[in-house]
Amino acid sequence: MINSFPPGFIMFIGAFLIPFLPKLGRQVYMIFLVLLSSFSLFNGFGTHLTINVLDYNFIINHSDNLSLPFAIVFHIAAFITIIFGSHKDDWKENIAVISYAGAAIAALHAGDLFTLFLWWEATAFTSVFLILGGNTTRAYRAAFRYIVIQVCSGMFLLAGAVLFLYSNGNALLGQMSIDDTSGLLIFLAFGIKAAFPFLNGWLQDTYPEASEVGTVALSSFTTKLAIYALARSFAGTDILIYIGALMTFFPIFFAVIENDLRRVLAYSLNNQLGFMVVAVGIGTELAINGAVAHAFAHIIYKGLLFMSMGAVLYRVGTCKASELGGLFKYMPITAVCSIIGAISISAFPLFSGFVAKSLIMSSLGYEGLSFIYFMLLFASAGVLHHSGIKIPFFAFFAHESGHKPKEAPLNMIIAMVIGSVLCILIGIFPSIFYQILPYSVEYQPYDFSHVLSQLQLLTFAAFAFICLWHFKIYPPELNSTVLNSDWFYRRMFPAVISNIVDGLKILNEKFSVNCFKGFNTIKNFFHDIMFENKVIDREAGFDTQIVLQIFGIIVFILIFIHLK
Amino acid sequence: MILLKLIKKFGKINSIVLFICILLLLLEFVGHRHGEFKIEEFLFFPALFGYISCIVIFKVGVALRSIFMRDEDYYD
Repeated sequence: MINSFPPGFIMFIGAFLIPFLPKLGRQVYMIFLVLLSSFSLFNGFGTHLTINVLDYNFIINHSDNLSLPFAIVFHIAAFITIIFGSHKDDWKENIAVISYAGAAIAALHAGDLFTLFLWWEATAFTSVFLILGGNTTRAYRAAFRYIVIQVCSGMFLLAGAVLFLYSNGNALLGQMSIDDTSGLLIFLAFGIKAAFPFLNGWLQDTYPEASEVGTVALSSFTTKLAIYALARSFAGTDILIYIGALMTFFPIFFAVIENDLRRVLAYSLNNQLGFMVVAVGIGTELAINGAVAHAFAHIIYKGLLFMSMGAVLYRVGTCKASELGGLFKYMPITAVCSIIGAISISAFPLFSGFVAKSLIMSSLGYEGLSFIYFMLLFASAGVLHHSGIKIPFFAFFAHESGHKPKEAPLNMIIAMVIGSVLCILIGIFPSIFYQILPYSVEYQPYDFSHVLSQLQLLTFAAFAFICLWHFKIYPPELNSTVLNSDWFYRRMFPAVISNIVDGLKILNEKFSVNCFKGFNTIKNFFHDIMFENKVIDREAGFDTQIVLQIFGIIVFILIFIHLK
Repeated sequence: MILLKLIKKFGKINSIVLFICILLLLLEFVGHRHGEFKIEEFLFFPALFGYISCIVIFKVGVALRSIFMRDEDYYD
């Protein structure tokens, strides 16, 4: 019976028992849940559970060669995150972590669009508590924005699913096309969660606001779930190649100027997603293998980097490059783990990034996409610059910051060491790693040309950084905010709308046109409800405006589609 | 003697990286390095590409500071 439930389901349900357990028992219980859930991975491929409600078949548990590698790495990520967070006595965060991981794993096993939608929303509503766990006013407001964007994505998915069901008579999760409206809506839903260009603001806005443990969990699941969904439904969609290339390209520059190191990692996460999106866009067996391999390796090394920065944040209290430096003496193990993560993400041979990224680069070569290939090569040098060098260098070396923290707690060290060992093992034994990928493709990443090219590219990029730093050309890091695409809905839309309202007011006063009277009454009515009656406190008022605007935009789009 | 001076001036770790860089360039002559595209097989192509990319990223990054950088409490 228990085997017919999808993996992850037991984690999602079991999470709600956590408040009743003592602190030590809680950690053991959570690990037990992950192990129990992972047993269902051995069920074999096929559909294991469907539930019929109102003549509609919800395919709750369907597993195949694409969902399995993602499910494996999600379990590993959940396991590592639990160990990393076990120094904390915070049952709320524990519930959020385990139910979020559970929902994401269950989403991988959805066989139809409506089941996917349910888990899609479940990941949004469980993960928002991780951001709230940051326990600051900024985190509170960021969580507000986060849930709006995530629910937007869910709404697009639901609208797409309904249209799809209406036109096809079924809502099976399979290959789709962006040429029909339903496909386009679903594509947008996936695109928001996969942080496509201009839809990516939420990622860099919210991830760094969570607690040191929350960010590790956040970095693992949502975006990779979107990559999985894209690989399942939009493999071989040409536009993804260009979207992905843009994604690898532009976050590099933002990462270079950003000061908060966890935000730098969030940009870098966006850039890494670009590689996967390009691979999904190519859509050949080798490329899909590349996307999956990259997602797998990426979850581990990105988690490792976020963990090392989380350990720094926990011990020092800040993650800003301008306030850090010289921590190697005090946190050597954290520093070494961070460097291993940095080397892995930069794709040095013998580390996990190399064996995964090579698949994508080679598939680009086979398809003859030279321009995209060189864009990604450029992005690879960029990854080295902002994740490979900037992260460990500004945190653990550079100048003395005056902080003298203790080494990270034992549980954090254990989690980071597990991550590091996995990064190295995947890099050394690629043939074993390739066996869990969706398709069996013969591929050898370690040949003379490949290794030499990659080493030349990376060491010379590193050498360029060394020159810039040594000759003091590299400017100091500054405390700052870097504008990102969230600026549109945090600053521009509110400004435009308040200008329009002001303009209407002036018109109204000058010409005393009566038709604006009704408008004003409505506006004042909402204003009174929102602010004067204190239904929503002023702190959240601004974000509520954003919520209403985005909601308005969605309604507008839906009406537009309906009329079309 | 000159080497020691260089190491002293440039720092130990930096010198090691420089040494590895030179070694990697020399390895180019050991065997034929083929690439996915013809242009990649040009002598020292990956090295030049990596070096120039890094400088470009840095330059563009610095230029973008003036456009995208705001005070820390910009949104507060």
